[in-house]
Amino acid sequence: MTRNTGIYASVLGGAAFVLGVAYGWTARDYRGEELATLSEALRQLEARNATLAAQVAESDDLDDRITELEASLAAALQALEDAKVAAAIPEPVAEEPSVEPQDPPEEAQTAALEFGDPARGEEVFGQCRSCHQIGQGAKDRIGPHLNGLFGRRAGLHEGFRYSDDMAMMGADGLTWELETLDAYLENPKALVSRTRMNFAGLKDPQDRADILAYLRQFSASPQNIPEAAPTAQAREVELSPEVLAIVGDTDYGEYLASECKTCHQQDGSDQGIPSITQWPTEDFVVAMHAYKRKIRPHPVMQMMANRLSDEEIAALAAYFAQLE
Amino acid sequence: MKLNRRVFVGTGMAAATSLSAPSVQAASHGKPKVVVVGGGAGGATAARYIAKDSAGEIDVTLIEPSRSYYTCFFSNLYIGGFRDLDSIAHSYGTLASDYGINVVHDWATGVDRDAKTVALAGGGSVPYDRLILSPGIDFVEGSVPGWDVSAQNAMPHAYKGGSQTELLKAQIMAMPEGGTYVMVAPPNPYRCPPGPYERVSMVAHVLKANNPTAKIIIADPKANFSKQGLFEEGWQKHYPGMITRIGPDFGGENVSVDPAAMTVDIDGEVVNADVVNVIPAQKAGLICEAAGLTDGNWAPVSGHTMQSRMDENIHILGDSTNQGDMPKSGFSANSQAKVAAMAVRGALTGSRVFPAKFSNTCWSLIDTDDGVKVGATYEATDEKIAKVDGFVSQTGEDAALRKATYEESIGWYQGITSDMFG
Ligand SMILES: Cc1cc2nc3c(=O)[nH]c(=O)nc-3n(C[C@H](O)[C@H](O)[C@H](O)COP(=O)(O)OP(=O)(O)OC[C@H]3O[C@@H](n4cnc5c(N)ncnc54)[C@H](O)[C@@H]3O)c2cc1C
Repeated sequence: MTRNTGIYASVLGGAAFVLGVAYGWTARDYRGEELATLSEALRQLEARNATLAAQVAESDDLDDRITELEASLAAALQALEDAKVAAAIPEPVAEEPSVEPQDPPEEAQTAALEFGDPARGEEVFGQCRSCHQIGQGAKDRIGPHLNGLFGRRAGLHEGFRYSDDMAMMGADGLTWELETLDAYLENPKALVSRTRMNFAGLKDPQDRADILAYLRQFSASPQNIPEAAPTAQAREVELSPEVLAIVGDTDYGEYLASECKTCHQQDGSDQGIPSITQWPTEDFVVAMHAYKRKIRPHPVMQMMANRLSDEEIAALAAYFAQLE
Repeated sequence: MKLNRRVFVGTGMAAATSLSAPSVQAASHGKPKVVVVGGGAGGATAARYIAKDSAGEIDVTLIEPSRSYYTCFFSNLYIGGFRDLDSIAHSYGTLASDYGINVVHDWATGVDRDAKTVALAGGGSVPYDRLILSPGIDFVEGSVPGWDVSAQNAMPHAYKGGSQTELLKAQIMAMPEGGTYVMVAPPNPYRCPPGPYERVSMVAHVLKANNPTAKIIIADPKANFSKQGLFEEGWQKHYPGMITRIGPDFGGENVSVDPAAMTVDIDGEVVNADVVNVIPAQKAGLICEAAGLTDGNWAPVSGHTMQSRMDENIHILGDSTNQGDMPKSGFSANSQAKVAAMAVRGALTGSRVFPAKFSNTCWSLIDTDDGVKVGATYEATDEKIAKVDGFVSQTGEDAALRKATYEESIGWYQGITSDMFG
């Protein structure tokens, strides 16, 4: 429930910052008052957004600012969404145990894990609705609409302005299928480094399976999509904590990195080829494993990643993270 | 090339030098010395990595006659009008000022492997503890009857960078309406396997715009060539009817030229041409042969360290080597240079040495925004550098992917040239 709070606090400014911090402190104490404060802060943010949007209409230079604002608005909306949930279902407190969390019976859980539950997925999708529409009459908003998502080439949906990275991934061949969507929902930035989708990711495979089962209903030929795939594939995308915990040998990383630097420039230039300098370690590791498993497209990177061991990936990540 | 052959002092007898396990060898006189001959893709990279990573512990001298290095990579894009000449020229200023490399603009004329010195055309010699040779290619004499280096102004090869490329482009621009361009393609192995075919694509691109009735003929001694399906698909699509390739089954390997008459004889049929681009058979840069480090046309090396199989104090890089599965490319030379730099530092300063890894990717441009690529990874075995894994662009790819591939090549050019020259 609180998984995203820390990230918002560090990423957002203005009202969204306040929202995130307030929420982080007192998640389980939320009541109507706080919600009112949150909604007020949100209204202010939306007002600011409206002002800015008007200015953007006059000047193309403001393009990037609106993107930023979209992101903070989306985050604020989600924080609000989370806050609502938190306020509605208080977490149990040790001193005064209230309602025990209602775990579904074991068998039901396994079945849901296997197939994904679209009804529950619809609930989980609540947090996405502030940016994405789906269903009859859905339009592009902050994010593109998600009708016909399965089988759609990433970053190429007509009329929507994607991040450069998303456009590049699409050009490289990234197509939205169960496996790629699952990886993207788990950690958007690990699949598409500088995606505009400002969302920390759904760590729970069950949440992802359910949401994908829900989204799948809005694609043209769901019958073409194999049953039970989302979680089966999800197991592959996830990295074990041991792999993520490997401490990279930066000396070895430096040698291995000399191979990367033939194309990826150390000074961070990214014409035609993205910069990988100062890429956060975990994102780097996850992305390289995604290439290795051929979830991320791009034949050169798949080939380069394919022969790197877990230790070598860790070494490279450690080296690039500390590079100036 | 004003190379004075008399000064070569290759000492073939030193070939028996034992290839014992490397030990840390601090030269008796102060810092260990590394001399690099050739400031191209292999040499510039090696010099830069050794200077950079040894942080002053090793004294690096780079011997290179030219003050500007014109890359062969992207020279075809210059011919096609996608780059200007200045954008593919690089100077050695940063290597000298920021990396403390001693850049000597001179020809190396010989190697005394016993005394461990390199002789210079300008007189004098330079001592080394380790020598790195990356002199690129020279041409096999007599491989195209009627052609020798003295004919390179009438019939340019444009297979070494700079003035030759400029000359070829000027000749193409001056072709009469409906004129004929003939390429005599080289036999394997040669530098940049897709290079001749990317060139044909770029020539066709220019002619299509300026001289659409002109014709291109390729006389080719090889049955197949790199990325053939991709090129042929592209030629059909962008330049239908303009390009004819005559392979060995139709006499493409039986070719002679007459530079004075500007004719090409292809298996008995004489073609009058306006531009003849002769790319002869190739061999290691002459200095390798002069130093007694070649076996046949090329210099054999160990993939683990890029050391010459004939002299453990000498590492050879790039096009000159016979190493195994890697193609002769700038990317390969750059990749090999990093392995050699690590091995040299390990031997001279005791720094850590890791297992050699190599890779290569060659991008080619077929027409505007229509880029393709081929690549592979490699590792060292005791016998050779062996291919591990590879890929190649597919025919029928969509325009977005082809455009992304081209844009990637621009990023690569930027990346590799800063990796070479700082
Ligand atoms: C048309 C064309 C297109 C190409 N396209 C690509 C491409 O897209 N990608 C790619 O990776 N590769 C490409 N290549 C291949 C690439 O240019 C070569 O493989 C690469 O330059 C080889 O590096 P090298 O260090 O072995 O030799 P070079 O880069 O040729 O460097 C050799 C240097 O040594 C110097 N030298 C020679 N003899 C001596 C001596 N005795 N003393 C002192 N200095 C000496 C020369 O002046 C030269 O500067 C292309 C080549 C051509 C011809």
